[in-house]
Amino acid sequence: MFLTMIKPLFKNKKFIIGFSIFIIFLLMGFLGPVFYRVDPTEMTWDYEQPPSPSHPLGTDTYGRDILAQLFHGIRSSLYIGFLAAIISLVIGTFIGTLSAVKRGLVDDTLMAVTNIVLTTPSILIAILIASYLKVRSIEIVALILGLFQWPWFARAIRAQLMSVMSREYVNLSIMAGYSDLRLIFEDLIPTIATYAFMSFVLFINGGIMGEAGLSLIGLGPTRGISLGIMLQWAVLMEAVRRGMWWWFVPPGLSIVAITASLLVISTAMDEVFNPRLREE
Amino acid sequence: MASRSAVKYILRRLIFLFITYVVATTIVFILPRAIPGNPLSQILSNLSRVAQSNPEAIRAAEKNLMEEFGLGKPWYLQYVEFIGKALKGDLGTSITYYPRKVMDLIVPVIPWTLVLILPATIVAWILGNSLGALAAYRRNTWIDKGVLTGSLVVSQIPYYWLGMIFIFFFGVKLGWLPVQGAYSQGTIPDLSWAFFMDALKHYILPFLSIVVSAMGGWAIGMRLMVIYELGSDYANFSEYIGMKDKRIFRYVFRNSLLPQVTGLALSLGSVLGGALITEIVFNYPGTGYLLFKALTTLDYPLIQGVFVILIASVYLANFIVDFVYALIDPRIRIGQEE
Repeated sequence: MFLTMIKPLFKNKKFIIGFSIFIIFLLMGFLGPVFYRVDPTEMTWDYEQPPSPSHPLGTDTYGRDILAQLFHGIRSSLYIGFLAAIISLVIGTFIGTLSAVKRGLVDDTLMAVTNIVLTTPSILIAILIASYLKVRSIEIVALILGLFQWPWFARAIRAQLMSVMSREYVNLSIMAGYSDLRLIFEDLIPTIATYAFMSFVLFINGGIMGEAGLSLIGLGPTRGISLGIMLQWAVLMEAVRRGMWWWFVPPGLSIVAITASLLVISTAMDEVFNPRLREE
Repeated sequence: MASRSAVKYILRRLIFLFITYVVATTIVFILPRAIPGNPLSQILSNLSRVAQSNPEAIRAAEKNLMEEFGLGKPWYLQYVEFIGKALKGDLGTSITYYPRKVMDLIVPVIPWTLVLILPATIVAWILGNSLGALAAYRRNTWIDKGVLTGSLVVSQIPYYWLGMIFIFFFGVKLGWLPVQGAYSQGTIPDLSWAFFMDALKHYILPFLSIVVSAMGGWAIGMRLMVIYELGSDYANFSEYIGMKDKRIFRYVFRNSLLPQVTGLALSLGSVLGGALITEIVFNYPGTGYLLFKALTTLDYPLIQGVFVILIASVYLANFIVDFVYALIDPRIRIGQEE
């Protein structure tokens, strides 16, 4: 069943392109550090060198290899993105389904909370929280970002489930005496699976972008290298105004390539699975 | 013109935003008290660093700080005092720039941020929506494909990174435009023509980096919206009765624009976040740059102050968008719905 579901995806040109680009970066993050065994933190006397055979992407102010940083950065940024996405997805699904199933006061309260979080700029809250934490692990950064980007998803899930709830088969399940939990897992969750997956992909983007923003403002992970941290170093050392393009172009380009490819994947899925968008 | 339903809608939004503002300031209140490691003691140890150069100031600052945080009083009194002050606009005293008030530091930088973010957001919104509508109107032509592909990529470029690319290309490589600041160093902002031209030159790159990368998202959203609307019953019906394409499109365009107005309200936060970081990249003397300086010195009263002000402005902007929405949406204006 799963195969017949994803098969039409691989006939969509957009999906293939987006998927391929994403896989390339996924492999760079996973296998890059394995095959390119240069320590990204090792300082050498070859500082601020443009790309050369010994340093394919050049070096930074401390003579550290940019390509090695890039591989580790892609790995961490993807990790942060995934982690933040899982957190957002769980919170969003929980609040959205609970609202739709319980209705009444529970629904009102949860939606009020959702709307408050939705109106409040998540990056600002993230900045405020992060500023109070002296040590920020990669996981903490992902948590801070994941905690605030779920509201639009919760709202969409709720709306969708509200309409599912009025269908016959759900009524039958309720009459058959299903518990709320069984109802949620057997009747409701499957109807939002595709949408949840598409949103998951966008949450990854939110996590990656959020990390880059936090890092640039000086509130990124305090240990480890991410794409945002690379950009922060480049800005701190005035790489842009001193013309060291090899330092700030690769991390930014990677962010754009990863997030754009994921957005293309999600858009393509929408085109394939959403009958209103299907091209005649 | 202002029907009862419009007034009701506006009032409801106003109450909601007020509650949201209280919640946000509550977070500001709770955070330093809830996070382990007690940031207040961090502030004090920060103070002692400053103190080595100026021991007189530290004692005054410390006393001030204890008073402002209301330490020693029960927490609910602290809270009431804090919210009251926040609503009055009293945000405390900066540590780094002691004894200057946080408010006095923030107020002068706000215009720079507004001047950058408002026009950029509006221009991006108009251009993006027009492009998106055009793409949907010419669905499946090369225009559509070009706009969609371009928008998908461009919408994912962080403003600040596009800013870096622009600085490098137009500033460093070509030398056409200044690479940092909002005006040349050494000039004093005044109302002269020369200063205006100087500021304008500095303005182009940060402005363009926000406009270009913000445009993509609007184009994608609008394209989708118009495609949906074109498939709706009224659009099909108009086609059957032989209405001209252009006229149908005008109706469709206006209907598709409504959700984009709501979208504008929802996107304000992330636009602001991106713009703040863009300011840092450009050393542009706005709120983001001030926040950045406050963060590097861990000047908590200033960080909190900037946060409260920014959040309040986002809510205010939200309210303005809601207001505009109530004016242009006939369902609210005339009050057909509820």
